[in-house]
Amino acid sequence: MYYLRGEFDLCTGCGACMLACSNRAAGGYNPRLARLKIFSENENLVNRPVVCTQCENPFCLNACPFEAISRNEETGVVLIDKQTCTGCGNCIAACPDEMIQFDSGKKADKCDMCEGDPLCVKYCVPRALQLVVKQPKQEVKAG
Amino acid sequence: MSAYMGKLLYIDLSSGKSSEISLEKELTKNFVGGKGFGAKILYDLLPAGTDPLSPQNVLMFMPGPLTGTLAPAMRGCVVTKSPLTGTFADSYFGGHFAQEIRFCGYDGIIITGAAAEPSYIWVDDGKVEIRSAEEIWGLDTFDTVEVIREELGDETVKTACIGPAGEKLVSFALINCEFNRHAGRTGTGAVMGSKNLKALVLRGRKTVQPTDPQAFSKAVDQAYSELSADETIAGFTGDGTPASIDFANDEQLLPTHNYANGSFEGAAGLNAEAQREHFWFRNVACAGCPIACSKVGKIKTGRHKGMISDVVEYETASMIGSNLGISNIREVAYLVKKCDALGLDGMSAGGVAGFAIEAFQNGLITPDGTGGLELKFGDTAAADFLIEAIASRRGIGDILARGVKEAAKTLGGNAADYAVHVKGLESPAWGPRSVPGMALALATADRGGCHQRAFPILYECGGEWNGEPVDRLGLKDKGEIVAYLQNYLAGVDTLVKCDFAAYGIKDETYAATLEAAVGEPWDAAKIRKLGERVWNQVRLFNLREGFTRADDTLPKRFTSEPLPEGPFAGALVSLEDLSRLLDDYYAERGWDNDGRPTEEKLKELSLSDMPTLVRHP
Repeated sequence: MYYLRGEFDLCTGCGACMLACSNRAAGGYNPRLARLKIFSENENLVNRPVVCTQCENPFCLNACPFEAISRNEETGVVLIDKQTCTGCGNCIAACPDEMIQFDSGKKADKCDMCEGDPLCVKYCVPRALQLVVKQPKQEVKAG
Repeated sequence: MSAYMGKLLYIDLSSGKSSEISLEKELTKNFVGGKGFGAKILYDLLPAGTDPLSPQNVLMFMPGPLTGTLAPAMRGCVVTKSPLTGTFADSYFGGHFAQEIRFCGYDGIIITGAAAEPSYIWVDDGKVEIRSAEEIWGLDTFDTVEVIREELGDETVKTACIGPAGEKLVSFALINCEFNRHAGRTGTGAVMGSKNLKALVLRGRKTVQPTDPQAFSKAVDQAYSELSADETIAGFTGDGTPASIDFANDEQLLPTHNYANGSFEGAAGLNAEAQREHFWFRNVACAGCPIACSKVGKIKTGRHKGMISDVVEYETASMIGSNLGISNIREVAYLVKKCDALGLDGMSAGGVAGFAIEAFQNGLITPDGTGGLELKFGDTAAADFLIEAIASRRGIGDILARGVKEAAKTLGGNAADYAVHVKGLESPAWGPRSVPGMALALATADRGGCHQRAFPILYECGGEWNGEPVDRLGLKDKGEIVAYLQNYLAGVDTLVKCDFAAYGIKDETYAATLEAAVGEPWDAAKIRKLGERVWNQVRLFNLREGFTRADDTLPKRFTSEPLPEGPFAGALVSLEDLSRLLDDYYAERGWDNDGRPTEEKLKELSLSDMPTLVRHP
């Protein structure tokens, strides 16, 4: 199981990740329609990528009244079933990182990890975005 | 489907009305975007002799058809008639602003007229609103961006704005496109100020969609791999442009003490190592750029400790550093940031300050005009005073705010002898006395003294042309090299390319990307022809404004005062040399001896019968 991680010290703010993502998600280029974001602070001294980390305890999944959101147990990716989604917006309101927005069909839309080979990572030349292997909790030991 | 959004936004600030202009097929086919659109539309819309600071002048923000896509390192340009030179002016900017024009649904924004009161324009996904700028008039560029973000309640809006210098119509005021990204040269900020326009603010949710997504992705990946394989590009990623300080210093091209010399004993204080040591933290990039030539950090020690500074790029490190005899990079970073905040082009500001110091030494500027301050090289206080005085137009600053050409006329005496400019634009940081090809490039650049229209130095300092080593000090082939480079760069400036990325991305790859984006056949040869068409279109504008062969010239410092020392001591480009270079260059271009395109040439470029393609609505 993998998830995405973004590093502020390496992110140059170029936004190629968002361009590549938006093209897949929305059928054209516009970073505002991407499934990840970069927040730039202090005259671009800090570019903070914010990505869906496929939460251990996903608020979006918990908030959905229609069981449209589920986790793929094999990959760990939290997915939205667009057939079941009613567009109620509960998940959008629930995610504190604002990683869900409506697609053009008014259905909730989020990062699906590009079926295991994320485009955002592919186009991140400075390697600020990386795929991280998820360690099961019992295997994480202190010290 | 095509990567064109299909329309231009036209805003008349006098009436407060906006409208949309559909893109003519002839415009996209023959001029593509960016510089090409700017060249044709300025020619179509502006009557000859228009005062650049009158409401009749047009101020245009032009992205290209690849801007806003994943095609690496695409930008935008501001096009207008320059108050500094009176020529066509195109000034390029990186950052994220040009992309947002496309996301708002436009292939360009044309602004004309003048607002009755200080205003800013807010374009929100196609909705255009002209808002009061009373609250932000007078603010520096950093504060302007912050206050607008607060007012609109969104940190992600994209802003282009002027500082106090633009409001006061300083002839070399810039337009800031957020945080060390500017349409810096030729005084576009003064044009904006003359329209009472403090800022243009954008937010858009439309997408840019290439005609052939598969072919487009393939071309983009090719461009990415070319960039990652190129050594020059790796240099920009590692050290940014300050690496050129060492090169220019070694080759005696580095302007020092108002171009009196070509090398500077304090150069090591300004280069990439010095900048890294004193403040770099990290790399920063413009939209969609894998190169990241920008380096941002905080000054670690001294009186500017804690100040955030972007890389002091080569041009300003030289013009405000070596050209003013200042070797402390922390002081130069402070002065450059002050120019950015006040909205002054740091390159021209350095040129003007160097000129002012020399005029002071010669007694043409006296302590009366400087509040008693002695102006001297190597003194941050003198530079600081001059920047402040120019931006506020106080004392001697009012005269200097018109640029070195006009200031020299006012000061009289021998001031014109050391006013280093071409067509009124202060020269860039490449002293050309030992590189006559570069001298020709400066003399013939469409917007005045500019190194970005052709940069033959790389051929002259150890390069080859047609398989033969280039004779650095000789005149042979220089006309051909300059015309070739100007055409090529004007071609890819329609996209709008980044100068640095163009060192890595091959011309066929640009062509393949464009072809896939817009669904029209393009190849490298066609892009060069496009560039030649655009170059000639701009020439027609400048000729119509009254420019002649006599204006394709160089400052006296380069033609009459030899380099004083070093391996190229004695080098200069005499007026006789220049005349020979111009003869060769005009012949290469198919222009007559006065620098006018022949009818035959215009026909070849489809310009002789080109109709008006854009009109005021």
